[in-house]
Amino acid sequence: MSNSLLFNACTLVYFLAMVLYIAYVSFRTQRVGRLASWTLFAGFVIETAALGLRWYESYEMGIGRIPLTNLYESLVFFAWTVAIIYILLERKFRLRIMGAFVSPFPFIIMAYASLTSKEIRPLIPALQSNWLTYHVITCFIGYAAFAVSFGLSILYLMKVRSEQNPGRNPGGFWGFIPDSVTLDEVSYKTIAIGFPLLTIGIVTGAFWANVAWGSYWSWDPKETWSLIVWFIYAAYLHARITRGWMGKKAAVLSIVGFAATLFCYLGVNLILAGLHSYGSS
Amino acid sequence: MSVTEETGKKTKRSLTRTLWAFLSSLKLLVVLLLLLAALSIAGTIIEQGLPLQQYYRYYKPLTVEIFNRLGLFDMYHSWWFVSCLVLLAVNLIACTISRYKGILAGVKKKTLVLDEHFLRSLPFKETICYDLPPEKIRDAALGIVSRRFTGKHTETVTADGTRHLFFEKARYSRLSFFLTHLSILIIFLGGIIGSFFGYRGYVNLLEGDTLQRLQTRSGKIRALDFQVKCNAFDVEFYNTGEPKDYRSDLSVIKDGREVIRKTIRVNDPLTFEGITFFQSSYGALPEKATIEAINNDGSLRGTAIAFFGERTAVSGIPDAVEPADYQEHFVLPNGMDAGPALGVNIYPPEGRARGVWLLQNYPRYDRMRGGDYFFRVKNIVVREYTGLQVSKDPGEFLVWTGSIMLILGIMMAFFISHRQLWVSIKATAEGKSELTIAGKANRNRDTYKREIDAIIRLMKEIVR
Ligand code: HEM
Repeated sequence: MSNSLLFNACTLVYFLAMVLYIAYVSFRTQRVGRLASWTLFAGFVIETAALGLRWYESYEMGIGRIPLTNLYESLVFFAWTVAIIYILLERKFRLRIMGAFVSPFPFIIMAYASLTSKEIRPLIPALQSNWLTYHVITCFIGYAAFAVSFGLSILYLMKVRSEQNPGRNPGGFWGFIPDSVTLDEVSYKTIAIGFPLLTIGIVTGAFWANVAWGSYWSWDPKETWSLIVWFIYAAYLHARITRGWMGKKAAVLSIVGFAATLFCYLGVNLILAGLHSYGSS
Repeated sequence: MSVTEETGKKTKRSLTRTLWAFLSSLKLLVVLLLLLAALSIAGTIIEQGLPLQQYYRYYKPLTVEIFNRLGLFDMYHSWWFVSCLVLLAVNLIACTISRYKGILAGVKKKTLVLDEHFLRSLPFKETICYDLPPEKIRDAALGIVSRRFTGKHTETVTADGTRHLFFEKARYSRLSFFLTHLSILIIFLGGIIGSFFGYRGYVNLLEGDTLQRLQTRSGKIRALDFQVKCNAFDVEFYNTGEPKDYRSDLSVIKDGREVIRKTIRVNDPLTFEGITFFQSSYGALPEKATIEAINNDGSLRGTAIAFFGERTAVSGIPDAVEPADYQEHFVLPNGMDAGPALGVNIYPPEGRARGVWLLQNYPRYDRMRGGDYFFRVKNIVVREYTGLQVSKDPGEFLVWTGSIMLILGIMMAFFISHRQLWVSIKATAEGKSELTIAGKANRNRDTYKREIDAIIRLMKEIVR
């Protein structure tokens, strides 16, 4: 199928972008940095085309459905969302240096996706619902925001450590990274995008479950894990309101939050059983 | 009043105060949220709500005993988990009570005059001097700011002749606190009402049959105030063999009259008087079948037309047969789909009955059992049934109302802020004036600062 070809091309371009971002951090030449940004953007454009093509091909096959319904498609969409959120943040905050920490995500996710089944399969009746589309899109933009915040939080912790030993090679790598206050701020802002979207994702999921199965909440592992993630980020937001919890502790919570997000997305399917369709594919 | 009594009262009061401070604290909230997250993990690792016997297959008897005592097999309803939720609700109520006055005051309070003292408390400010009279400056400043702060502004002139202009945006966004936090309580309330006054059950309804009562999940029998008739059931398959769509044509009958007729499908249920019927599964039951006894040489020995659940004699042989089960797609041990199969109990004149599967498409399948004759089945007549999930949940409306409030509240909290701007203009000498501009926002301060900086830049250009 031609959409697979495009997805492979996109994976390769994401790989190139990652290498360029790392080269940029190492050599710090603006030319390389600009090239890295444009390469990532090119990967994003190719992936957008690939998603569109896959959607079109599903109609050609007489199945006709949005490409968001199995593990492969969800991973691909996840990579797409991480890429676009990062591209927008980079433009807004002019923090190209974050790229070295965030750009590996799209590549790793696409590489992982290529190991799963790429087949376009028809949808079982329960999945034939517009709520599925709203649910998946909102959840994944939320997850992607958390991924970006995770990268920033790690960077934050490392930066704080370097700020505590200012003497050590001042013109070096860490001097080049934005100050920790900015990193903390941007990390909070990304979570402020992710949290409402995760909330909408959980609510649309509950609404859909209620229409399909007659119960909006049944504590199945996937639902429960999404709630766990939600609890952690709610704790993060309130911890920041009380003074002492800005900075380091908040960064740790954001890292724990993303670990829970990953488990919610992949761990539940691979390790625990549940109602969710991604489990079997 | 004795001294000890007085100090006793004091400690009591300070104890109440400490307790209140604890219950309304953000620290308690953060601890509770993280605790709930940690506890919930247990419920995703230990499968919930199985019959107790099944757990003995996975765990040692002692472990089952301990886990059962701790409520780990139904942990989301265990006293400790529910206590955490109750404490969260108390925390929310206490927090709302202790903050609502401050929040309402923030909404109501309007400072119209930018005096020295107030100016000192504001985060963003700038003073600019002009060689122009104050009236001109006022008009120009109003022009610049009004483009960004649409809506009414307030103008006050103080005794010293200074003009104060006050602008603001999104004052009521301060109320997002109530929207966000009360919504959680509303969702809780909806959940509680649903679990006390609602029920859920599952029924198989044969085509042509009528539903009048059902057994709920908790084992009670519920009579409906109306009847639901399944007029027809229908499945459509993809060419891969997976079901594409299944639907039941249902009629709701009340007092002998049909009130509603609707075809329900997965994701499109029917609701009547607060009770909802969901398309959940489907299947078929055998109504009757022809069962033949065949000699090993292939000649017919005897025959019977047997009805489901009825023991029927077969001519020519001593055994009686009873159709007891049916599968549309019988799976052989090698994984092959062997098509329709009838489960039959065979009753010999003496001794124990035994169950066998007879395959309609493989008439010699039963021969492998041995003996001098075997059975085969023909003309299986099945009746399809539709599997309906039935549920009543009077708390649902509150849950969705709360959910919408929660989403709106969160969006408001993150993306809208109450922004205020003051501009004061006073005459310093003939034809000269001084303008002071200052602003304040309750969140997203850096974005607001950029906005104000842009305004200040324009203000500085007035001179030319
Ligand atoms: C599960 C329950 C709760 C949820 C989902 C929730 C949600 C939120 C959200 C989304 C915000 C906005 C965050 C921000 O501006 O950074 C917020 C703010 C806040 N929450 Fe909660 N909250 C909950 C419980 C509580 C409780 C129990 C308290 C009190 C102890 C509390 C106190 C606050 C305060 C003081 C703010 C800041 C309000 C402001 O600055 O306008 N929250 N909450």
